[in-house]
Amino acid sequence: MSSWKSILLRIGDKSSEYNSSDDFKDHIETCFGALRRELAHSSSEILSFLLQCAEQLPHKIPLYGTLIGLLNLEDEDFVKKIVEDTQNSFQDALDSANCDRIRISMRFLTALMCSKVLQPASLVVVFETLLSSAAITVDEEKGNPSWQARADFYVICILSCLPWGGAELAEQVPEEIERVLVGIQAYLSIRSHTSDSGLSFFEDDESGGDVVEKDFLEDLWERIQVLSNNGWKVESVPRPHLSFEAQLVAGKSHEFGPISCPEQPELPSTISAVAYGKQKHDAELKYPQRTRRLNIFPSSKTEDLQPIDRFVVEEYLLDVLLFFNGCRKECASFMVGLPVPFRYEYLMAETIFSQLLLLPHPPFKPIYYTLVIMDLCKALPGAFPAVVAGAVRALFDKIADLDMECRTRLILWFSHHLSNFQFIWPWDEWAYVLDLSKWAPQRVFVQEVLEREVRLSYWDKIKQSIENAPALEELLPPKGGPNFKYSGVNGQEKTEQEQAISSDLNNKVKGRQSAREIILWIEENVYPTHGLEITLSVVVQTLLDIGSKSFTHLITVLERYGQVIAKLCSNQDKQVMLIAEVSSYWKYNAQMTAIAIDRMMGYRLISNLAIVRWVFSPENVEQFHISDRPWEVLRNAVSKTYNRITDLRKEVSSLKKSIISAEEAASKAKADLEAAESKLALVEGEPVLGENPAKLKHLKSVADKAKEEEESMHDSLQAKEALLAQALDENEVLFLSLYKNFSTVLNKRLPDASGDATLQSLKSIHGDSMAVDLEELPTMEVDDENGIAQKSQSNGGKATNNVGEKEQWCLSTLGYVKTFSRQYASEIWPHIEKLDVEVLTEDAHPLFWKAVHSGLRRLSNEL
Amino acid sequence: MASLFKDPTKISAYRDRRFNGTQEEFEQALLNSTTVYIGNMSFYTTEEQVYELFSRAGEIKKIIMGLDKNSKTPCGFCFVLYYSREDTEDAVKYISGTILDDRPIRVDFDWGFVEGRQWGRGRSGGQVRGGYGKLVQRELEAQRQLVDYGAGSLGTFPPVMPPHYGKHGGGHGHGGSYRHGRDYHRKRHRDDDRHGREAPKRNSDHESRRASDHDSDSRPEKNPRFRESGDSDDEEDNDNKRRP
Repeated sequence: MSSWKSILLRIGDKSSEYNSSDDFKDHIETCFGALRRELAHSSSEILSFLLQCAEQLPHKIPLYGTLIGLLNLEDEDFVKKIVEDTQNSFQDALDSANCDRIRISMRFLTALMCSKVLQPASLVVVFETLLSSAAITVDEEKGNPSWQARADFYVICILSCLPWGGAELAEQVPEEIERVLVGIQAYLSIRSHTSDSGLSFFEDDESGGDVVEKDFLEDLWERIQVLSNNGWKVESVPRPHLSFEAQLVAGKSHEFGPISCPEQPELPSTISAVAYGKQKHDAELKYPQRTRRLNIFPSSKTEDLQPIDRFVVEEYLLDVLLFFNGCRKECASFMVGLPVPFRYEYLMAETIFSQLLLLPHPPFKPIYYTLVIMDLCKALPGAFPAVVAGAVRALFDKIADLDMECRTRLILWFSHHLSNFQFIWPWDEWAYVLDLSKWAPQRVFVQEVLEREVRLSYWDKIKQSIENAPALEELLPPKGGPNFKYSGVNGQEKTEQEQAISSDLNNKVKGRQSAREIILWIEENVYPTHGLEITLSVVVQTLLDIGSKSFTHLITVLERYGQVIAKLCSNQDKQVMLIAEVSSYWKYNAQMTAIAIDRMMGYRLISNLAIVRWVFSPENVEQFHISDRPWEVLRNAVSKTYNRITDLRKEVSSLKKSIISAEEAASKAKADLEAAESKLALVEGEPVLGENPAKLKHLKSVADKAKEEEESMHDSLQAKEALLAQALDENEVLFLSLYKNFSTVLNKRLPDASGDATLQSLKSIHGDSMAVDLEELPTMEVDDENGIAQKSQSNGGKATNNVGEKEQWCLSTLGYVKTFSRQYASEIWPHIEKLDVEVLTEDAHPLFWKAVHSGLRRLSNEL
Repeated sequence: MASLFKDPTKISAYRDRRFNGTQEEFEQALLNSTTVYIGNMSFYTTEEQVYELFSRAGEIKKIIMGLDKNSKTPCGFCFVLYYSREDTEDAVKYISGTILDDRPIRVDFDWGFVEGRQWGRGRSGGQVRGGYGKLVQRELEAQRQLVDYGAGSLGTFPPVMPPHYGKHGGGHGHGGSYRHGRDYHRKRHRDDDRHGREAPKRNSDHESRRASDHDSDSRPEKNPRFRESGDSDDEEDNDNKRRP
């Protein structure tokens, strides 16, 4: 990398480029000096790199802004170009709903205003354009309130600029900025409060009722008001331009042309709740809320900052996470080295956990945040591990209220995290869960973490890791060996005959008989005498046993003898029996159960519908609240279905793209041919129509080929589209079946529907004290300065003990209803009419109804 | 994203000698591949452990364990095949350099599994430690240095807590002999001849630190994970002898 590049890149960092100085003024002068020398011969390179830096290192924007202000004194045209390029990319971002780029462009424009490159009035025009678009959107007559997500986003972007330029705007254009703020206030009074209940981390957030929690925009607005009352002072935003004020005022301000916001989509022609809901869902997909605060630490840990500093630091952290995904070293070093004069490790942990647990989906896979947390623990060995442990304890204490999906993510993260730190954890703190009922959420959490630890490691090792709480061994999964009915040992009550069939089959497989031969043998010698049940059991168990040594062994058996199973399990009833057999063979090993079922679905030996049916069979339903086992299988089945659809969609869209180019190629070839044909050529002195025959022939064949190509692509597109349509139909059937099953099992167990059924009342059915205990629980002190442990969980945790088994079953199951609805909302919305007719009927229990609707973010007050 | 710090042209520093094709074709293969190569694994790690970890990056199609060509036992590497390219990239981004079964593993794009590649290429049958192995070690050492930042604003503050998990975490002597029991309890396969290699007590702290030592042939203590210095599997050695 050339040296000006690394100087530009490293500005603001304590690095060798700057002799480890941390004075921003020095940095800017050094960097300015370096760029000024290069400007003459690499101006376009500098321009694009500078814009790239400003976009990908947005926490350094004030430094880049000042630098550009200084360059403006040297080379107005260069800076004019910067402004134009920024304007273009900002307009593109608005048109394509590129939220990150919109947000960062606006911060960049604010910094340019601070360094006198832009007039404050130009920035105000940008604000007013966005604000007026927002106001129209939420206007019921002129606009389309289902697109409020976009309107809110625009207003959030305006407010987000103020920590960076509020002081300058208030000083230089006080009336204009006041007008903008009044406009925002007016906007806030028209828009509707965003109910987050479908996406909140904790179930109890929604039940409060009396205190309506502020939504993200309302919260930011309040922070900005405090900021404005504080004279716009922000500790967390560096203001390097102030040191160069005297020079910067001499710079020429550049024009910033008008920008335009895209039109909002038309309201649907028939105004119905469903159409409105679909549009709202689309809008929220396009303009998602960036973060949701987790608030797990006692306020003393995070609230000594000014409200706006919290917002700014969160922005910094989220941007580093966004842009340094995949760059471990830079990500960790920017995370710990933000340009702020206070500590923020609690805030950092809360922010990362809020992303890890973000609903419906985190911006990246959860495993990314796992890695970031590991790296931060290593980068700050003295501070961060304790903060992470504090977060785990705080979440553990609230686990009964934590959303089901979040619980699953927490279990996967925590087990993985511990596997990278030698499985060290003070398990003795949690040994008390053994005294809780087996459905107590804390206990289930510990058990599932141990299960995942064993999968990542091995039983004895995990046993060793809990030696400070040896009693917890009770929660370890079984040692995991197969449970082969025909092993011939342990006095299994299998008849000798069955035993003999099993070893016959075993020998046939060892003798490499073909699937065909084995099918014949079964049809002639086994099935007729033993009937379906025994045949299926012997064959499936024996084949599983042959493939039991490893994942690859399993695959090999399924590839070679899958046909045998397919022949035997030709309909859904038999497939359900097959799954039950798998589950019985791998009774002691949840992972292998899940893998075997997943692979069988992969080889189409079993359908997703059969899996759903098996998951809702009585022996699994009984486990819904005490084990992840059935849920893992269900999650896999739905996600595999979803993955198939996603693949098909990708194929269809890439085929469509290639068709366009094939059509272009074909029409070009045709045009070439026609041009050649119509050309007059002189043959033996006589004008003849058409070019020379060899060339014509060649052109003809090119045109024919291109046409053929185009047609064959159309054919494959048609084929793929048919497959996709079929997959979507099957998906509808899958979700209907899933919801019907949920509805049925819940109806049987939920208390009679009364008008005001709430989850809270469900929790209080057994033991009224519980609700009180949970609310009044003192927030746990995670690292008491005196080093005295406060084990508040001993009362908090045990409180949940009071929830009755049936009630906990309902709570867990409803939690999963919400989870599936939310995770696959985009797939479910297209089928919503059918769902309304067939499942969400008047007979559906109100709590079930509510779980589905809040998962789909389709709440009654919005209908 | 993050194009600022990444050199997009450098996808793998290691060039597999078995690849029949030009450097460009090799790089193209890596860019489109949905296969990852996992190196520096414990010989004891099972496919199911690999499955549990790597399925967190996406749906897995296949796992192929690397085997010692003489003993037919796992010898510290494997291939994982994904369905989608995105998941493959995520496995490389998020899993490389993290711990599996007490060892820091290295995950890299691979040009694609073909029959035969499951066998270790060392002279004695195991996987080579030269070439790729050395690369792995260098990279892992570089990643370990990542721990020491110092420069960040949080780094300049004194630690608030003793390491690990504060007051609750102290005094867990881990390590010890528990690996010992593993062969007896655990489902194992294809490796019945391994008992002889089991060393007495080891401390897992040692193990991760020593991961950086083991490409030098003289080791301070015996480690069951690695062959003794006598049976070096250095591919470079082999080549030098074959090609004068």
